[in-house]
Amino acid sequence: MASLGSKVFLCVGRTNVSRFGLKESANRLAYSTLAPVNSHPGNKGFPDKNGRGPFRRKPRRDPGEPRTEKMAVDQDWLAVYPSATPFRPNSIPLPVRMGYPVRGGIPPEKKGNLELIKIPNFLHLTPAAIKKHCEALKPFCTEWPSALDTDAKCDMDFPVKVESTDYMSAGQSLRNPSARIVHLKVKLSSLNLDDHARKKMLKLVGERYCKDTDILTITTDSCPLRQQNYDYAMYLLTVLFHESWKFEPWEAEKSVADREEYIWEDSPSQKNILDVLLRMKVAGEGDDQEARDQLLERREVQEYKDSVVRLKNEGESESTMLQYKEAVKKVLSL
Amino acid sequence: MAASLSCSARLLGFLARSGSQGSSSGSRGLHVTVACCKNRAARVRVGKGEKPLTYEQAYHPHHIGHCKGWLSQHPGNLQGEEGAAERTVEDVFIRRFMFGTFHGCLANEVVIKRRGNTLIVCAILLQRLLPQKFYFLIGYSESLLSHFYKCPVKLEVQTLQDKAVYKYI
Repeated sequence: MASLGSKVFLCVGRTNVSRFGLKESANRLAYSTLAPVNSHPGNKGFPDKNGRGPFRRKPRRDPGEPRTEKMAVDQDWLAVYPSATPFRPNSIPLPVRMGYPVRGGIPPEKKGNLELIKIPNFLHLTPAAIKKHCEALKPFCTEWPSALDTDAKCDMDFPVKVESTDYMSAGQSLRNPSARIVHLKVKLSSLNLDDHARKKMLKLVGERYCKDTDILTITTDSCPLRQQNYDYAMYLLTVLFHESWKFEPWEAEKSVADREEYIWEDSPSQKNILDVLLRMKVAGEGDDQEARDQLLERREVQEYKDSVVRLKNEGESESTMLQYKEAVKKVLSL
Repeated sequence: MAASLSCSARLLGFLARSGSQGSSSGSRGLHVTVACCKNRAARVRVGKGEKPLTYEQAYHPHHIGHCKGWLSQHPGNLQGEEGAAERTVEDVFIRRFMFGTFHGCLANEVVIKRRGNTLIVCAILLQRLLPQKFYFLIGYSESLLSHFYKCPVKLEVQTLQDKAVYKYI
């Protein structure tokens, strides 16, 4: 134990010698030789050989020069940054600075700069790298069919469009419940529907139809899997189509209030205008069906009919009111 | 009111007497001062000019987005995305883990990036240990963290001789 203590003493003396100047070394040496000199058998020779303590076998290596010094100007950058990696100051031969400068100073350099590491970099996506990626992906791609060069042709050949979304997140789980939602879009003009079938379909479908674009959208999310939702959407489309072609007996009871658009024949407007014209007629032809039919065939009455139909169906606007005014003036020969 | 006042007066008198009796042990008073609502979050208190600060320490949390970036970014914090809380808990654990594994060797905060499934932990270390020890610790943390989180974990390490000082406070 005493020998151990003396050894420690010796160590301390020696390290001090390495730190301070040579002037003090004489004093230190004199001080340390007072203690018995006992060299440890595992020691490499005399302790004060490298002046760093007897237990260090190899001296500390200096860090080598950074890779940037050895880089050629025309090197292959893809070899340095083949994939997305954080910023490495010793691999990038650019004198980049980042950060808010100190007062009267400049932004901090790239060595040890955390701000450069925090941001995403695109050093792995130089134009040359992207070209290489494209070359690698080309064998797996097929050409777009040349016959489908316009949107109209695509709609004609593929009228039903199915849309669903895939989600990717940073967590450990792949599952996202919103991925099961399926949207099915189809243009009603591409379906084979006659007038009654179309009206019935519109009534069945309600809000899912967009008048401006003539697209019926069916959205299904009641099933847990996307495949199930897709099957359900196709089933709904099939059922809607077949049901709208069927004519149920109770559909004959359709009243004026159920009609989607205004029909002028047998409407109060027709009766009113015919009554007015008959009363206005100077030659009293009598109130019978022939006179009415004759009146109906007249051009002014037809124009009046068009303007009323347009007004009722499209709503009130400048052009419809103007047309109505003109038609009324002509009919009543004002 | 009068009754209660006399009650409290009697009580005070009793306390004073007890205080005077136990005068050898000292008396205790209640001191109430106004609260000083100083913000202490992530702020290094000003010294005499000898404290070195890194860029990260020099700018306070309200500078994030202006002078500082984010130490950890992930899509869980976006509108309509889930999993923000889980990612935050993972981040906290990873920072403590790194602080403990590379004790005394971390030059700056740990930056955590997420790319799809993988976790990329970026750290700047000081050259205080032998490179072989660093390699072992890097491999150890990577394998342990990937077992914890069941996803690939990559450690990107840079070493420096000394901390990058931004200014002295």
